[in-house]
Amino acid sequence: MLVAWKYRKRRSIIQWFDPRAWLIFYACFLFSTLAFWDVRFLLPFFILTLIVLFTSGVKWREIRRAFLFIIGFVFFFSFFTFLTGRGGAELYKQEHLIREFKTSFSIFGWTPVLKITVERAFYAVSQFVRVGSIAIMTILIPYSLNPALYGITFKGLGLSDKFAYAMDLTMRFIPTFGRDFQLTVDAQRARGYELERISGGLIQQVRKLGPIIVPVTIHAIIGSEDIIDAMDLRAFGIGPRTWIDVLNRDLKDRILIWFGVLILATSFVLSLFGYGKFWVPDILIRLFQK
Amino acid sequence: MDKKLTNVLIFLGVILVFFAVVMFVIGKGEAKEGALLNFSVDQATVVLRFVFVIIGLLIAFAAYYFTKENAAWEVGTRQVVWMAIGAALYAVFSWLFNGTVFVVPSLSQVALRPAIAIPMFFGYAFGPVVGFFSGAVGNMFGDALTGFGLSPQWSIGNGLIGLVAGMAMLFKDRKQSMNTILYISGALVALTALLFFLNRNQPNMLFFDPANNIFGDSTISIFAGISIVVGFVLVAAVRFGFASNEDIAAAVTWGMLGNIIGLLFASLSDIWIDGFSLPAAIVGEFLPAAGPNLIFAAILVPLLVVAYAAVQRQSGR
Repeated sequence: MLVAWKYRKRRSIIQWFDPRAWLIFYACFLFSTLAFWDVRFLLPFFILTLIVLFTSGVKWREIRRAFLFIIGFVFFFSFFTFLTGRGGAELYKQEHLIREFKTSFSIFGWTPVLKITVERAFYAVSQFVRVGSIAIMTILIPYSLNPALYGITFKGLGLSDKFAYAMDLTMRFIPTFGRDFQLTVDAQRARGYELERISGGLIQQVRKLGPIIVPVTIHAIIGSEDIIDAMDLRAFGIGPRTWIDVLNRDLKDRILIWFGVLILATSFVLSLFGYGKFWVPDILIRLFQK
Repeated sequence: MDKKLTNVLIFLGVILVFFAVVMFVIGKGEAKEGALLNFSVDQATVVLRFVFVIIGLLIAFAAYYFTKENAAWEVGTRQVVWMAIGAALYAVFSWLFNGTVFVVPSLSQVALRPAIAIPMFFGYAFGPVVGFFSGAVGNMFGDALTGFGLSPQWSIGNGLIGLVAGMAMLFKDRKQSMNTILYISGALVALTALLFFLNRNQPNMLFFDPANNIFGDSTISIFAGISIVVGFVLVAAVRFGFASNEDIAAAVTWGMLGNIIGLLFASLSDIWIDGFSLPAAIVGEFLPAAGPNLIFAAILVPLLVVAYAAVQRQSGR
């Protein structure tokens, strides 16, 4: 039995557009965001993300678990980078110290020191804004894209019938296999297997994952025979495929696509000319110049 | 000339023109200091570099041309369904084992990411197209589910893992091809391990320690650095230990080469995308990712191959 995503029809900006137009815009947004490290350039993307989030119609209780994890992860990732200062070493060479905290104790001669610098602080903020924008835009997709339109959407994006249908099946199988995985874990737990307490050496640990991965994979492959038979009986792949649903792209969808392309082209041109690199306000640098 | 061949030639031609424009037109100028995209190419050696691009494309074309009749490239109903199953399984396992649901412990900065066995196995069992789709699309959905956003070059890298694993189907003499793959992989492993010993101070950028919630900080540990050598030794042991069962030996050997090529592609691309240095890309990204993956190739892929062989015997398909 197939399990479905938590999609439902909502009054939202995302669902107002044709899914093909939205995916093209999403791709443009993604690559544009990756072109910058300057928080001034990243902020418009973040604001756009928040607008999309708050108009998505997705209820807090639906998205809470995933959202808290992602934002927590991005925040912690940025905060830890801020504490250590290692992540931004490729983007800035010099640091301007704001304050230094030194512990009163030593561990085997090593005294833990926390340096707060202007560059680390801005790198952490830039990282949070950059990764947060991408993560929030991504997580909204399964909640907003109608599963019945997966195939025709990818077909409309230029994929062949076969690959469009493969994408459609992939998106449909994901929640189903997630459920199968949980069932397998429960069944193995009933036999005394505890995934959370895997112990032993490296090879032992890897081997102990076998009782989870192998049954789920093999069960999926065995189950595929029914789907293959059903598709063969309907002469899949013999001629051009027809789709039950038809997508219509109107003016607002074209505007969204061109808006996305414009953002992408502008971002690439700006980055080619050296704009959007990691930025720290001059006033702060002067303030903390030694 | 048939339509398919024409399309492939057009596709390769477009890539060549793209490289020509980048190298001879955009690459002429000096990159601005701090620019995120640096396309400048040393004009003294630009012709030589372009020759290597042509050689690379010719190799790709030759690989296709001489094997175009091979059934390995066919995409029928079975392949479509297997592609979807492989991609969905890879996405689900990636999501579950990325620390979101189950915290699988790390060993000396070697993160356990068992999902990688899926594109290797699907590539080997069902062909290069299925392998590529499983790796690329599965990684894309896995990242999206986890909330990391998308890293297209890593998705393509994961796709290459499955693609190369599936190229085992293209060779008639499996033993000879396995030995050649082993030599090539051995050379690449030695080269990257050498880079580790020359750059021991690089942070392990893929390391996530769930116990301490540390991500991407600690300097790469000795075990993480040599895990690729450990993985290679394990794969070689499986290759020769299961010499009588060619399926197991070939699956792990080709999976190993796929893993090395795919992750080299992804990590080296970060030199241009994220501005990493070569040691940062190889020691900080490639080794901590590729080393553990080889260990999975050596242990989990044989389990899947044996289980699938049993299913085939039962079903007769």
